[in-house]
Amino acid sequence: MVDVSMPDDRSRGEREARLLAEAFGKPEESTSGISRRRFLVASGFTFMGALLFGCSRAPEETAFGYVEQPEGTVAGRTENYATTCAGCPAGCGILARSRDGRPIKLEGNPEHPLSRGGLCAIGQASLLGLYDSHRLDGPRIGGEAADWKEVDALLIGQFETARRGRGRVRYLSGPITSPTKQALIDEFLGGFADGRHVIYDPTHTASVLDAHERTHGRRVAPRVHLDRARDIVAVDADFLGTWGSPVESTASYASRRRADDPESFSRHVHFESRLSVTGSKADRRFVISPTERALVLQHLLVEIERLAGRSLSFRSLPASSVDGGEFQALARELWSHRGEVLVLCGADDLQAQIAANLLNVLLDSYGRTLDLQRPSYQLQGDESRLAETLEEIRRGTVDVVFVDGVNPVFDLPGGEDLRKSFASLGLLVSFAQRMDETASLADVICPDAHFLEAWSDARPVHGLIGFSQPLVRPLGHTRPVIESLDRWLGRGRDSRALLQARWGEGPQWEGWIEAGFAQIDEVAEPAASPRPLRPQPATGAPKDTLALVLYSKVGVPHGGHAYNPWLQELPDPITKAVWGNYACLAPSTAARLGVSNGDVVRVGVESGASIELPVLVQPGQHEMTVAVALGYGSELSRRFAGVGPEWIERRPTVGEDGRVGVNAAGLLGVSAPRRFSGAAVTVHPTGAREELARTQEYSYIDVPARLAPPSGARRPNIREVALGSLVADGEHTEHSGGEHAHASLWPEDHPHDGHHWAMAIDLTICTGCSACVIACQVENNVPVVGKDEIRRNREMHWLRIDRYYAETGTNEVDVAYQPMLCQHCDNAPCETVCPVLATVHSEEGLNQQVYNRCVGTRYCMNNCPYKVRRFNWFEYAHENELENLTLNPDVTVRSRGVMEKCSFCVQRIQEQKYEAKRRGHPLRDGAIRTACEQSCPAQAIVFGDRNDPDSRVAKLLADERHYRVLDELGVKPSVGYLTLVRNRTEKQEAPHHG
Amino acid sequence: MASPRALGPRPLIEGDKTIGQVTTDICRLLDNRPSAAWWLAFLAAVSLLGVGVVAVSYQIATGIGVWGLNNTVGWAFDITNFVFWIGIGHAGTLISAVLFLFRQRWRTSVNRAAEAMTIFAVMCAGIFPLIHMGRPWFAYWMFPYPNARGSLWINFRSPLVWDFFAIATYFSISLAFWYIGMVPDLATIRDRTEGKWRRRIMGLLALGWDGSHRTWMRYETVYLLLAGLATPLVLSVHTIVSWDFATSVIPGWHATIFPPYFVAGAVFSGMAMVLTLMLIARRTMHLEDYITTQHVGAMTKLILLTGSIVGMAYATEFWMAAYSSNPFEQFVFLNRAMGPFAWAYWTMVTCNVITPQLFWFRAVRENFVAVFVLTIFVNIGMWFERFVIIVTSLHRDFLPSSWAGYAPSLVEIATLLGSFGLFFTLFLLFVRFVPMIAMAEVKGVLRIGREDRHAA
Repeated sequence: MVDVSMPDDRSRGEREARLLAEAFGKPEESTSGISRRRFLVASGFTFMGALLFGCSRAPEETAFGYVEQPEGTVAGRTENYATTCAGCPAGCGILARSRDGRPIKLEGNPEHPLSRGGLCAIGQASLLGLYDSHRLDGPRIGGEAADWKEVDALLIGQFETARRGRGRVRYLSGPITSPTKQALIDEFLGGFADGRHVIYDPTHTASVLDAHERTHGRRVAPRVHLDRARDIVAVDADFLGTWGSPVESTASYASRRRADDPESFSRHVHFESRLSVTGSKADRRFVISPTERALVLQHLLVEIERLAGRSLSFRSLPASSVDGGEFQALARELWSHRGEVLVLCGADDLQAQIAANLLNVLLDSYGRTLDLQRPSYQLQGDESRLAETLEEIRRGTVDVVFVDGVNPVFDLPGGEDLRKSFASLGLLVSFAQRMDETASLADVICPDAHFLEAWSDARPVHGLIGFSQPLVRPLGHTRPVIESLDRWLGRGRDSRALLQARWGEGPQWEGWIEAGFAQIDEVAEPAASPRPLRPQPATGAPKDTLALVLYSKVGVPHGGHAYNPWLQELPDPITKAVWGNYACLAPSTAARLGVSNGDVVRVGVESGASIELPVLVQPGQHEMTVAVALGYGSELSRRFAGVGPEWIERRPTVGEDGRVGVNAAGLLGVSAPRRFSGAAVTVHPTGAREELARTQEYSYIDVPARLAPPSGARRPNIREVALGSLVADGEHTEHSGGEHAHASLWPEDHPHDGHHWAMAIDLTICTGCSACVIACQVENNVPVVGKDEIRRNREMHWLRIDRYYAETGTNEVDVAYQPMLCQHCDNAPCETVCPVLATVHSEEGLNQQVYNRCVGTRYCMNNCPYKVRRFNWFEYAHENELENLTLNPDVTVRSRGVMEKCSFCVQRIQEQKYEAKRRGHPLRDGAIRTACEQSCPAQAIVFGDRNDPDSRVAKLLADERHYRVLDELGVKPSVGYLTLVRNRTEKQEAPHHG
Repeated sequence: MASPRALGPRPLIEGDKTIGQVTTDICRLLDNRPSAAWWLAFLAAVSLLGVGVVAVSYQIATGIGVWGLNNTVGWAFDITNFVFWIGIGHAGTLISAVLFLFRQRWRTSVNRAAEAMTIFAVMCAGIFPLIHMGRPWFAYWMFPYPNARGSLWINFRSPLVWDFFAIATYFSISLAFWYIGMVPDLATIRDRTEGKWRRRIMGLLALGWDGSHRTWMRYETVYLLLAGLATPLVLSVHTIVSWDFATSVIPGWHATIFPPYFVAGAVFSGMAMVLTLMLIARRTMHLEDYITTQHVGAMTKLILLTGSIVGMAYATEFWMAAYSSNPFEQFVFLNRAMGPFAWAYWTMVTCNVITPQLFWFRAVRENFVAVFVLTIFVNIGMWFERFVIIVTSLHRDFLPSSWAGYAPSLVEIATLLGSFGLFFTLFLLFVRFVPMIAMAEVKGVLRIGREDRHAA
């Protein structure tokens, strides 16, 4: 057993200093060798000296110039390096912005064929993983720090012993898309008599692979082309949020949701039991029980078979909760568009997957919207192998177990028994970057390097290789897994050599590294033809038992991201909750159980496992469903005990057990495959309460009915229109009509002759994914404030995504997202009220906040109709020197007592203006990309100069769908929104007025 | 024809006092050792003040976060307390200046204490704009002082700047008015006191008063001028305070009715506070002859009048919202009356509009226990009025996504208590060191010298 407690603050401080010193050549004495007393003495002398020798305000610091300046390097200028994200198997392209030798921001690579410039919240936040001061800084043997020589000597000896014995070696990992790594793993395991590689994904069962094995004879996941689909039917597939390749999917989905091209506007029908990001964007959404996912698809299959004139797979099916007429209508639509449709199933239910595949076969999707010959490798996993291996581990018949990129003791059901069986293994080798539940049991830990520290490759889809290149020397003594494996194979090449051995050297390699990816001519995999298969009919949903849904959240999809405070504090796109998980119940279910938000309930499954969680009442969820997020309650979240400001009424961010949230993996079911959805579950109120932390307290676009004024309950800030009416009768003119003329008391004496910055946000394609929220946080040094501050509505995010529900039936809602940031009003109400002129208007239309002039009256915050101003209620922590390396040197770190807010990324505006001036070019439209715009996978946010008639933003501002929120106040906001369009034939109800 | 004497006004001061008796009665409070009751009250007040000092020190050391405010509700107890205390002050100015100009002779018994109350209330009020700042150590930036930061100036368009000037003016004029009015009485103390130091101090403060005709004439002129100067302040200060809200864009704040509404509310709350204090003083300091049913009656009638104006304003706000067809405006008022802070709203309406109606009855006006209880109600109601205006307007404004609740923290409650501690500490010191009834003025309204005229 290894001590899992974190190093105390002092030793951590020293460690940070040492890591800093090693990485950046900072003299060690400067931070760790001075006691507080000596510091005070020294500072006293310094102060006296300053008084005696004149008043210099610049702090004394040591700066080293380059002796030989590297070519192309200019101190203070940002360099971009292309690399590949390792946050999940999707393999998105990254441009890492590096300043003076340290990466400070990760952005999407616009050239990348998959992600096309977007980067999700996790990708953005993985920067903090690099500078994480709790990351393991070197190998450990039995919990004690060791050096690599010892480790290699010990392990090579152990492997030899294993080889001589049974040679039963198991390599447990998450999905591996790196061909180099896969080859090394295979080669390494091949050296043992019984070496096996076992892949599982903590967030899903990869049942897509199993289904294709049944229907097409190959364990493969097709590449999904949403941009080719006119109709998308998805069952429990959160492809815009957490399933598959969300950034790629969002980009291609959004490309078919352009209201200026109504002909190609796709129609999206969604079946699910809990409200997901993807479901929230659907044009038609059916709320079904998780137990009837297969049934729904089989109903649809029967209708399609009828239209296709095929023999019916099922003579009779039990009724589902969806009306039969709906299936007929949907089937007719799909049949008429066959070849341009897509049926996606993300369920862990094999029969549902098979039905989806059969539907896709009948609807001619394979080869058109689904590609099996150039498949995707982003979904991987094998439940039966996993089950076998776990059984072996339980029985103790395995010699060596490697754990790479997963945390089985935490991720998998089995609880204490599983922990014990891992603890009693002969040799457990972990590659964990952090001391997680499994690593703490490991005999040897060989920490993997962060992806910004090493060379690597990735093959997320057929024909595309992404490359990762190191941006910094490793901050500790970590070693990439591929280097470890290669050393144990007796070679010891470094990661660059390993990659070059596979991909070659020379100009082609240089070009690939510069681009960050390579599109190669791979031989297409053989075509697979569907095999005749008789699916098993599904049974109907039991009426009276609650069904469990275990899902992944956008921010913290599994325990591996639990270390990241940015992701923990990222509001969930749907629930807007942060720092923890909860039991989602439909409003009617909560009422039936007599519980409301924050009441703690005990959620138990048949096996006896149970957990206690607060309730979150979630509209749009099936009545007989309880949804709980996985990935919480991790050992890695213990570090957040001290997060947030310290004061007398503070409540800690972690729970009584010292962790954030509760681990729900125990509810996954003991028998293979893991069951994420549909298990029968009981819910009992415990009488305790635990207040949720949510960034949005009121969820509806309608004010409470009891308080509805005579002029209507609906607030006008969301405008929406059905595509049918948009096309048919130009409904949009009534809905937006551009600018209203409002009488103004202000003289028109601010002409904004030069640039006039503006932004347009398309509500139709914004999916609420929240990538922009993290992008803004990283770019603008926004602090993390902790759970209690969020409960007190004091989040600091400059950009928030408002999520509104409009009730359309019992437990049914329409969802609208509205990214809300400083609107940079031309007649800004905040500016007139500031007594000290700390917020003023620029000639270019920016509403500027002058931090060092602000005295903090908060009058501006009160007078902001959009409530986008953020106040520094406390001095937020910036004590961790290592983590401070994420701070953007172009943006001031604010101290307590001052107001702050979105600046339209003024530092980026200035950077590009100077750049254009230096090069003598006019500023090109699109050269300035705000952090939120840059990160948006859907490209829903467009920033630019509205004085330039050719700019994208000027065109959008002239669009008929364009409107301004609260335009009638006459504040003239510079941010405009494009009316939300849903692909519906008619207006369902008047969505707004005025 | 009935004798004018029979119909003549009841004497303002009862007990047929001689001039000497007046001096003795009032100076007795200063000459005697403080009573046990005074000490108890003083200790309680200083303890409260101490609580407030601790709370404010902690807040300044730690950050505004120790209050219950949030991103949506940026002001709550701080500005509520500020407006509450400023409003309290208004009665003093009204009594001493406006009633002086209107020759309301009954004011003489209460004007000194009311003015003292004004000054202490403004001091309490002034603390809140200072400590509500995120960085109070830069509070001097509110002042347009010459600086070395280029042409950096203050924002003359900001109502907070107007506030700063309005309150600074108000405080200085009130202080001067109070002090000038006190000079003859200070001279009286100087002349009858025996302690050496007290005599010297009072001698300095009395500015060489010699009681001559010329002194009196100049005194009366200065007093009249200052009363004239102070009178517009009764209207202007609370008008400007109301502009903090009225010039904003927030529904529930953005209303043209605010200036008269706030002024009436201020006089209302101030009168109630004067009555509360005077009824206590009357009882504990045996001033029954000086503060009589006539004084109390006049002030309760003023409370009834201003309270009804305030009630009218509440109704008008609802009417304007209904008539405006503005959904935001309409919602704010429905939300006030029926939303999460409905309890605060109905507390306000009950205390400010309903219970003061009892003052229509003479029996209530002459029952000092009832009057005392009702004035306490008004004090509570008027505090809640400001709370309702500030918090209910902010907590649910335009975008439903940013709606939030609000609950005060312990530090905020301690700060409110501390402001009461400061107020009562100062007031208790005041009654010990300065004649709390304007002797010189009271002597002017005695019957002495009037009998003959009435007899004639």
